[in-house]
Amino acid sequence: MVAPSRAPLRTDRLRALNVPQPVAVECDADLRPATVGGSMVEAVLESWRIDDEWWRQSIARCYHEVILDGGKRVVLFEDVATGEWFAQMP
Amino acid sequence: MSSLAACVWIPLFPLRCEEARHEGLAACPTALLAPDTTRKLWQVSALARHAGVKPGMTVSQAIGVCPTLRLCEPDPVHYDERFARLLAALNEVSPVVEPGELGLAYVGGDGLEGIYGGPEKIVEAIQLRIADFGLRIGNGSVESAIRNPQSAIRVGWGLGKFTAWVAASRAKPGEAIIIPVGGEGQFLAAQPIAVLPLDPDTHRRLRLLGIRTLGALAALPEEAITAQFGALGRRLWRLAAGHIAEPVEGREAPEPIVAALTFFTPVGERELLGRSLDQLIARALKHPRRIGWRVQGVRLRADLEGGGSWLAAVLLKDPTADGTRIAAPLEMRLEQSPPTGAVERLVLEFTAFAPGTAELQLFARDADAAARAGQQHALQSAAREIRMRMKRSCLYHVIEVQPWSRLPERRYALIDFEP
Repeated sequence: MVAPSRAPLRTDRLRALNVPQPVAVECDADLRPATVGGSMVEAVLESWRIDDEWWRQSIARCYHEVILDGGKRVVLFEDVATGEWFAQMP
Repeated sequence: MSSLAACVWIPLFPLRCEEARHEGLAACPTALLAPDTTRKLWQVSALARHAGVKPGMTVSQAIGVCPTLRLCEPDPVHYDERFARLLAALNEVSPVVEPGELGLAYVGGDGLEGIYGGPEKIVEAIQLRIADFGLRIGNGSVESAIRNPQSAIRVGWGLGKFTAWVAASRAKPGEAIIIPVGGEGQFLAAQPIAVLPLDPDTHRRLRLLGIRTLGALAALPEEAITAQFGALGRRLWRLAAGHIAEPVEGREAPEPIVAALTFFTPVGERELLGRSLDQLIARALKHPRRIGWRVQGVRLRADLEGGGSWLAAVLLKDPTADGTRIAAPLEMRLEQSPPTGAVERLVLEFTAFAPGTAELQLFARDADAAARAGQQHALQSAAREIRMRMKRSCLYHVIEVQPWSRLPERRYALIDFEP
């Protein structure tokens, strides 16, 4: 990480980093990811759930760390409220 | 620094060097070929100019206009050495000497009254000391070189470099013009605008506006000139009004570091010259005298087969101790205007240095901290340049926002990198 400069912090110029990217996911009968963007899922390494910010607009996500058929490792989550899938670095 | 300034000016210094070196040359129409391209004329003597020869003409054009024209190959190393001797002689009069272009130097005058007397005496001391560098023709006495129209030396005295320069440029050969303190405004008002440091376009625009003298320029409101010509206009107005008195800044003069390579057989291949240059730079950088200094001025000179010479002098915008950055502009010069003949000897000189201050860091005691600071400084410079070119910041740095958050996108964010 680059050390911050001496410039004062201006929150209006902040750019989000690691924003979730929408991704097409098909699930199997157990509601676990089977294909991601057309690639087969070879293995699901880990799954976990995050429930946060229940005091304002609740956020609930089911994360899955998967290995695709080419060997690529991807972290996905399903927005429990909307059912949409996203890819994101953990 | 010194606010009182004497300006010593020897017009057409390289040509005068040639005339002093070759007997009889001064009596002929003479022209000096350009150092970068030998097909064009660089400097032209008064006799040649009278015959219709002008700087920038091609050799064939010039010969067509003046068949008796004598052409001289440039010898920049010789001119440089003569100029260095001139500066050394001026240093005997005042410790504050600032070189300008070849043949032009400023001498700080503050505090010299106690040694020499008034401005007239100081100017006379300068003239006496450098009489030989006016490149006298013949064997007249030193004293006769002063107030002698054959002498090329012109001296101006005034408050600030600009006034001194204008005075020198208005002085007759061998003479001096002294502007007393407080008299700058009156003196400058009568001078033509051509004495200002103008580009041709600005000069043309000023003339179209009917402004012929510095007085006419200074009579206009400063805001109006600034509105028309921007920051340059403001500076021009202030110079014309005598509001800017730039002091003479003495140069720090650590001993130059020299590394030389003599070839057994003269070398013309650019690639080999480039490799030799790299070797010389590496050798010079290792010199103990260089420790604690960044290199700012570099000179590469070559003695050519058959007696000629070639010179490339570079002033680095950012002083550095990085061999690659020192080599880059010299290699470009080797590429763009290579030596006109095979090289017998290649000499590299570090001529000017900048102290290894807090930003520099290759010489600091803590080498790691130094390297970091140096990188940061380089990064800041690069960021500024990118923002100027792209009109927006394209560089960001990562800052922590909520590093503890369970939501990955909340942990960090990007923000414009602003040095």
